[in-house]
Amino acid sequence: MSDTLSPDASPATTAATPPDGSGGASGRRSGTASRAGTAAAGVLLLLALPFYVSSFWLQTGLFAMAAIVGAIGLNLLSGTTGQLSLGHAFFLAVGAYGYVWLAGDPSGTGSAQLYGLGLPPLLAFVLAILLAGAAGGLFSPISGRLRGMYLGIATLALVFLGHHIMLNARDITGGFNGRSVPALEIFGFSFSDTSPDGLAVLGVPFGGLERLWYFGLVLVAVAWLAARNLLRGRPGRALAAVRDSEVAAAVMGVPLSRYRASAFIVSSMYAGAAGALLALVFKRVVPDHFGLLLSIDYLAMIVIGGLGSVGGAAAGAVFVALMPHLLTKYADHLPLLSAPGTTGSGVTPGDAARYLYGAAIVLVLVFAPGGLAGLAQKRPRRTGDGTRRNRRFPFRTRTTSDSNPQGVEGTTPKEHTP
Amino acid sequence: MRHTRLVPAAAVLAVLTLSVTACSTKSGTGSNAAGSDGLKTGPGVTDTTITLGALTDLTGPYASLGKSIVNAQQLYADQLNASGGVCGRKVRITVKDHGYDVQKAVSAFTETEPNVAALSQVIGSPVVSSLQQEIEAKHLLTFPMAWASSLLGHEHVQVVGSTYDIDMINGVDFVVRTAKLKPGAKIGHVYFEGEYGENALAGAKYAAKQHRLSIVEQKIKPTDQDLTAQVTALKQAGVKAILLSAGPKQTAALVGTAAAQGFAVPVLSNAPGFAPQLLATPVGPALEKQLHVVSAAPSFSSDTPATQQLAKDYKAKYPKDPLDSGVISGWNAINVLGEDLKAACKAKDLTREGITAAHRKQSKLTILGVSLDFSDRAKPATYQSFIQKPAKQAAGGLLTVEPAHEVPAARAYPLPKS
Amino acid sequence: MIKLAETILNGLALGSVYALIALGFVVIFKASGVMNFAHGSLLLFGGYVMARLHDSIGFIPAVLAGAALAAALAGLVQLLATRGLRGAEIHTLTILTIGVDVLLSTELNRRVGADFLSMGDPWGADVTQFGGITVADARIASIAVAVVVISGFFAAFRWTRWGLSMRSAAADPEAAALMGIRLDRVRLIAWCVAGALAAVAAVFLAAFPAAGLDRTTSQIALSAFPAAILGGMDSAAGALVGSLVIGLTAAMAAGYQSELSVLGSGFADVAPYLVMVLVLLVRPTGLFGSKELTRV
Repeated sequence: MSDTLSPDASPATTAATPPDGSGGASGRRSGTASRAGTAAAGVLLLLALPFYVSSFWLQTGLFAMAAIVGAIGLNLLSGTTGQLSLGHAFFLAVGAYGYVWLAGDPSGTGSAQLYGLGLPPLLAFVLAILLAGAAGGLFSPISGRLRGMYLGIATLALVFLGHHIMLNARDITGGFNGRSVPALEIFGFSFSDTSPDGLAVLGVPFGGLERLWYFGLVLVAVAWLAARNLLRGRPGRALAAVRDSEVAAAVMGVPLSRYRASAFIVSSMYAGAAGALLALVFKRVVPDHFGLLLSIDYLAMIVIGGLGSVGGAAAGAVFVALMPHLLTKYADHLPLLSAPGTTGSGVTPGDAARYLYGAAIVLVLVFAPGGLAGLAQKRPRRTGDGTRRNRRFPFRTRTTSDSNPQGVEGTTPKEHTP
Repeated sequence: MRHTRLVPAAAVLAVLTLSVTACSTKSGTGSNAAGSDGLKTGPGVTDTTITLGALTDLTGPYASLGKSIVNAQQLYADQLNASGGVCGRKVRITVKDHGYDVQKAVSAFTETEPNVAALSQVIGSPVVSSLQQEIEAKHLLTFPMAWASSLLGHEHVQVVGSTYDIDMINGVDFVVRTAKLKPGAKIGHVYFEGEYGENALAGAKYAAKQHRLSIVEQKIKPTDQDLTAQVTALKQAGVKAILLSAGPKQTAALVGTAAAQGFAVPVLSNAPGFAPQLLATPVGPALEKQLHVVSAAPSFSSDTPATQQLAKDYKAKYPKDPLDSGVISGWNAINVLGEDLKAACKAKDLTREGITAAHRKQSKLTILGVSLDFSDRAKPATYQSFIQKPAKQAAGGLLTVEPAHEVPAARAYPLPKS
Repeated sequence: MIKLAETILNGLALGSVYALIALGFVVIFKASGVMNFAHGSLLLFGGYVMARLHDSIGFIPAVLAGAALAAALAGLVQLLATRGLRGAEIHTLTILTIGVDVLLSTELNRRVGADFLSMGDPWGADVTQFGGITVADARIASIAVAVVVISGFFAAFRWTRWGLSMRSAAADPEAAALMGIRLDRVRLIAWCVAGALAAVAAVFLAAFPAAGLDRTTSQIALSAFPAAILGGMDSAAGALVGSLVIGLTAAMAAGYQSELSVLGSGFADVAPYLVMVLVLLVRPTGLFGSKELTRV
């Protein structure tokens, strides 16, 4: 599933592939087909889930979907371009509040007055994404100039400034109490518990979460495909070149600052989409959610998933988004814990969930330093210079050869049988 | 390669069959039913148990408050069950720890909501804000552990006791009386940004207007722990008293700094600004000298028999845990809920609607010596506040200075609309 | 005028505590390229050890023990990072510190609970007054201690073997390794030093006028982030200057809150970040950070 770019390997690959693609191409096709079969089964499973699982799982799944979209975006920035950002939460907030402001109707009077444009929700959703992109663009004088940790901490400032604005721009954000989120509506079909009321599909009642589930799936699919195409095309190669060596990229004719700025804008748009989806799930946006911890979570997602790969980012997002929820849900069943309200002063289930979460992060990184994407590729072969050189470059990916179209790795044995 | 095309098709078939056969597994939950004894029951009520939910913080910033509340409510449930329960059913509390994280809280709500009859506590203003709509939609009687008047006006959300602004109105009256403030005098108000602080400020401003005082505002954040700048500014402004709506840490910092500077004006804090643990710190003596606390709840040293009994029972069950305001708040909330359940049982209606209806009929409920009236959802349950004073030897660290009382101005105060 | 003087003194005291924390960040970053998210927890750990020990062994030994244990713990994190994750990339180590932070902070929070732990410091709630200015003794002590500790650090950095190894390792790890400098050891010492500095900062964060060490004390470490960046991430002198600037900005913005109300209330908390962003706009590697030179 990995879409890791392999800038070092690709020129060699192009040279080695027979121009007419007779042998390699058909082998690739069979591999792709079986992969497509698995993917299709996975997609069908996802499509069927709302018929079986409870709203808790749907909601948690939707949180994970929002995280996937956001993480793919951050991965484009940090994983592919090598720009570290701790400001992702800010752009999520822009998307979330942007949607609420664009789609919401003006309400209240006096100090409780709230502005809203009352646009059709789907349009508002799209505009919110663009708004987040614009916010990213406004930051480009900084994002274009700073590198590494400097950029990281400078973007951290965005989180704090954003929080300040969310609390103070009351007529748009609703202040500390937040603001309720208008339901998404497409051509009169509302993604909420009402209108149409009591909708049931195959006898299963379809409320807001069930309906949003499908919207989330579509959003994830679009985000995923867009990122893949971006990475596989010319911009992806250019961005990877920027990450590997700015000088070399500039020499080869990549307009550096433009690419850096656009990576930031695209990543902000992904964050905006994630934020708007999150808002729809929450049904109410409050400032406290979009804090530093959220930013750090996103950073953890892309690193745990494996930098530079779309699939990895998604895996990391699912891991980080689901883990605390699952641990909290099942922590009550762990042995040797004292339940809340009992006399024991031992470890409570909540504490246990935190310990396990911390331990899980450490263990994943110790056993899969390349992230979950690295695990999925069996033992990734390291290009000779990988380890040592990478140490000196924070936030760049190790190059793996999985996306090598020829499959010289031998991961698919049938490769050359027509 | 034909088999690869079969895979999706087979999956579609499998999924379709499964979804059709599985319709019944996810049928509508939460339907109300009438038992053989004519008792109507709703979600969370079975033949043997009534399940209540608690969304609390046991691992985040309000962990100690959360623990006290959970303990106190468990104590009540145990006593209630020992005396036969409600309607022959045992009362059970499902505790979910969200660590003050909105996303975890929302998912904990989604998880517990289908299986509980009411929520005996919800900690965290942002949490309550994000859940408010859902709570109303699900008709779930909820007791938030926050006392802002923006929480009033909801049918199913019930603040037990007076609100921060009412407390401040009563508190300012006390300060004016005891410090003999003349019209035109200045008083300082140091408050948290957010619901709590700003609600208290609204009350203080109203009271200041009544007494023709002017207020010098200083807004702080929960992370601030050095208030030297604020104290210096208030001293320069020449304030004659300081109102405080912050946390225990800020109370210690403010009083400590003021005392060190020889700035011996009276300080009056809202209840959340005090914790008995403060008395063991170096600023303990200064607190005993300068600080008063205005609170909706009685202190453990008050002579009401019910309070004394609670203190005794609590210490017997949780000898290691401190007696603090959380114990009283938790007890108050579940005590009201317990009375509601009993009344609903008498009315033969233990559905959620029945419980809320029973709750709204309680107009003269006396709990821990305070008379509460829940019949008007737009008004606080009481307009009375206690004035207390820190004392190291007192149980719970507070002595009652003035018993529950209200000032006439409080009733005329226009409650802010949410 | 008195207000201005008091505010400045306050800002300097705050800045000196930030400097202790920021120096730790910078040293770790210089040595191993990692942004240490567990720094706040290390600080809380050091403080917790002191708070628990001072009753039985006295204040000074407790501080030494706290600093030593915090240093040991920081060293342990580094050992885990290098031994357990040999060959891993920098960002993996950075995220590893998040995992460590979750573990440490959960355990410490559970232990500290709702308490305000006294550090047993000799200054108590005493204050000194001169010319109408009142300042807490703990504040003066924090400036004095920070000056002594930081000068000691600079001296070590400049004149000791470790300082030399450290500087060469930061300049070019490969060349340094080739010259026989044991990078692992240099990194280990750097982490230990940072841990000890954080523990010392904990004393002053918990001392008067704060109520004592509580579970949120570790959050202050975040405020040192802009301080370290402002000065230049790879410059120790920069960390010092940056810390003072940030400390002064925070104190001024809080002290003159009502004059600044146009910018929204609660502006004091964002002012340091705003100053940092403005500085970075002009100097992308901070005030004293080495400029990135690119040789082709």
